[in-house]
Amino acid sequence: MSDYILELNNITKNFPGVKALDNANFRLKKKSIHALLGENGAGKSTLIKIITGVYNQNEGKLFLNNQEKSFSSPNEAMNAGISVVHQERNLIRRFSVGENLMLTNLPKNNLGLIDYNTVAKESKKWLDIMELDIDPNTIVSDLTVAKMQLCEIAKALSLESKILLLDEPTSSLSPQDTKNLFALLKRLVAEQDVSIVFVSHKLEEVFEICDEVTVLRDGKNACESEQITNLNRQKLVKLMIGRDEQIIKSKKNIDFTDESLLDLQSINTDLGHKNINLNLKKGEILGLYGLVGAGRTELIKCVLGLDKINSGQILLNNKEIKIKSPKDALEKYKIGYISEDRKKEGLILMHDVLSNAGITVWSNLKKILSFLNDSIVYNKVDPYVKQLEVKTPSYQQIVSNLSGGNQQKISVAKWLASGTDILFIDEPTVGIDIKTKSYLHELIIELSLKGTSIILITSDMPEMISLADRIITMKDFKVVGETINNHNYEEMSSSIMGNIHE
Amino acid sequence: MNNKIPNFVKTNQFGLLILVIVFICIFSFSTDGFTSRFNIYALSRVVALDIMIGLAMMVVILTGGLNLSLGALGVSAAMFGGWCMESMGIPISITIILVLAFGSFLGWINGFVTVRTGVHSFIVTLATMSIYFGFMTLLTEAEAFRKLPEAFTDFGSLKLFNKYISPLLIISVMTCFVLYYIFKYTDIGRKLIAAGANPDAAELSGISVDRMFIYCHMLSGFLAALAGIMLTARIGAAIPSMAGHLGFDWLLPAFLAPVLGGTLLSGGKVTVFGTMLGAILVTLINNGLYLIDVGEFWVRFFLGIILLGAVLLDRAREYFTVKNSIVS
Repeated sequence: MSDYILELNNITKNFPGVKALDNANFRLKKKSIHALLGENGAGKSTLIKIITGVYNQNEGKLFLNNQEKSFSSPNEAMNAGISVVHQERNLIRRFSVGENLMLTNLPKNNLGLIDYNTVAKESKKWLDIMELDIDPNTIVSDLTVAKMQLCEIAKALSLESKILLLDEPTSSLSPQDTKNLFALLKRLVAEQDVSIVFVSHKLEEVFEICDEVTVLRDGKNACESEQITNLNRQKLVKLMIGRDEQIIKSKKNIDFTDESLLDLQSINTDLGHKNINLNLKKGEILGLYGLVGAGRTELIKCVLGLDKINSGQILLNNKEIKIKSPKDALEKYKIGYISEDRKKEGLILMHDVLSNAGITVWSNLKKILSFLNDSIVYNKVDPYVKQLEVKTPSYQQIVSNLSGGNQQKISVAKWLASGTDILFIDEPTVGIDIKTKSYLHELIIELSLKGTSIILITSDMPEMISLADRIITMKDFKVVGETINNHNYEEMSSSIMGNIHE
Repeated sequence: MNNKIPNFVKTNQFGLLILVIVFICIFSFSTDGFTSRFNIYALSRVVALDIMIGLAMMVVILTGGLNLSLGALGVSAAMFGGWCMESMGIPISITIILVLAFGSFLGWINGFVTVRTGVHSFIVTLATMSIYFGFMTLLTEAEAFRKLPEAFTDFGSLKLFNKYISPLLIISVMTCFVLYYIFKYTDIGRKLIAAGANPDAAELSGISVDRMFIYCHMLSGFLAALAGIMLTARIGAAIPSMAGHLGFDWLLPAFLAPVLGGTLLSGGKVTVFGTMLGAILVTLINNGLYLIDVGEFWVRFFLGIILLGAVLLDRAREYFTVKNSIVS
């Protein structure tokens, strides 16, 4: 008898033209937290989908409690005690917490109607186990993002799951919420006999919480059930990307007493921003740090004219401007915005690479009678697409067929092509592999060195500290602090968190 | 290995073309008179109109919306034209310009209300359908304009190419080329498609999505008015009921042509020549079934089945959009 609850041996999975997994092994010990790591496209999601019954492997065997299993549907896997908590919420937002928890097995009374008292009582039990102070009658959409995440876990527990797969569980959580989540996970492992598979791009978290690590690279094991104590960050990154990580730092001398390029003065908005003052110097990378819900993206959208600014002024080169729409921002003031949500707001997934990369420059390129053909657009955007090393078979390729990293490069390329003076860059590296991430970091620095002024929104503290020249901290739709970045991680992060928790 | 097959063969239009040819063969052999000069001429007059109303619907489907007011709008514009020519004595050429402007204006109302209220165009145009048609009936007192200038009605019965083809068909085909040019080779055409495919992303990329949607509705009104003029020329009079009650007779072909042709109902993809082929196919089947003499009921039955099939095809297509280009 082995003490593994889940074992996958020599798994191979072929897709047309690709070997997504090639003889991969994965062994999950009972009562452990096991990190599954790898870059985008390394085979993590395929492995998870095999464990949860979405895919079947072509070769190899899966053992659950030493018994060979093969799941033909996610439902079977769930019944066997395997639950996934996805990045995307699987809760029904307009139902109450209790209804969501009990959804697959709603208790009924004698008349065959739903017995809401039992729903509340039963679901309270699971919330209590997690020490969650939530009323089961609360409607899910009234919860914070962090609480929703915890409810998902409670839902998985209520299904008597013994294996929890957490896919990037902290991507939308604040550091405090993350800490709470980790404490909870540790307790679940200790008290509830649960084993956890933890997928994350944030390596700091892996070191904080995991016992063992399995790394996939190009569908193969780069390491297998390695003790976390035998590893450090450099070793882990090397395992993931196959070479050493390059640490990038922005080195610039910006005179912060210079005149500002863009100046927001006492801005109050419809969305609730109070008295926002901030200024951006030429060639500066100004970081906007804050927790999810601090109003950073919302502020940018107000500046772009998508929501209403009630009072205050926006000055560009000391002249007051009124931006009515993103079109206005782009065409009149040369201001662009790279969205945090590339799938919904950044790209037109169903269109090809050329029209996505060229969308911002059509207006400038059009000839008489609005004439515009592909080769005119191609000539304009090709240098930028090449510069960003976008990997695509052709310009006619549909963007949704490209990897996340390449999609992100295209949503950046279109703004490079548009030649804006000011760029708002919102969470540029969420869900992106390390290689592309450091590439984008270099690019952002290079852009600012060439004179583009950048406002960078990111919730990734290391990213913020390696890129920004100055960091503005926001909380509850207000500016709560401003710090000149000295690129010392410990000092900066404690000063920023200090601003937030004051 | 796939590279040897030309891309055109893999497209939806190619499949449609094959179907059109197959149906032509079937009807040629199984009926008398399908290939007669009289029937082909009659077909060309019908097809011309179906193409035009298919295009009018297509440009709104591009936004992910619908234009149910299409028939009511087209007839209203046509009645306005009849009034201009018969009651006001306005010259034909100026009347045509006025009618097209009027149609675009009604389309603008559709677009403006849709964009400003954020209500789906399905509801908005359902309402304006009733409003336009009701207003038109009120103003005309349901009377037709039958004394139109001869030069105008003569055009509608003109026969070209050895008396096989109506000039109306040439107008429709030329309109296809113009639209194709707009969508493929102009800045504005690209913006219309981008706005239809993903309004949020388009807006953030500096496109005024609202304006684009209004343009689409105006274009739809313009094309519907053109269809109205063509129908008036064809029957030689402007009659309030010439597209059925509330313009319903236009709706089925208006949907069938673009959907069969490969336009995505969710928006963001147009197929001008697909719509043309779709209209041809629908007209062929309609005409062939009448000639076989299966009876009115079966014709409607088959058209309904085809529409359902086309919608299923649309679902399937969303998965495979991937492989086709955006404008074709």
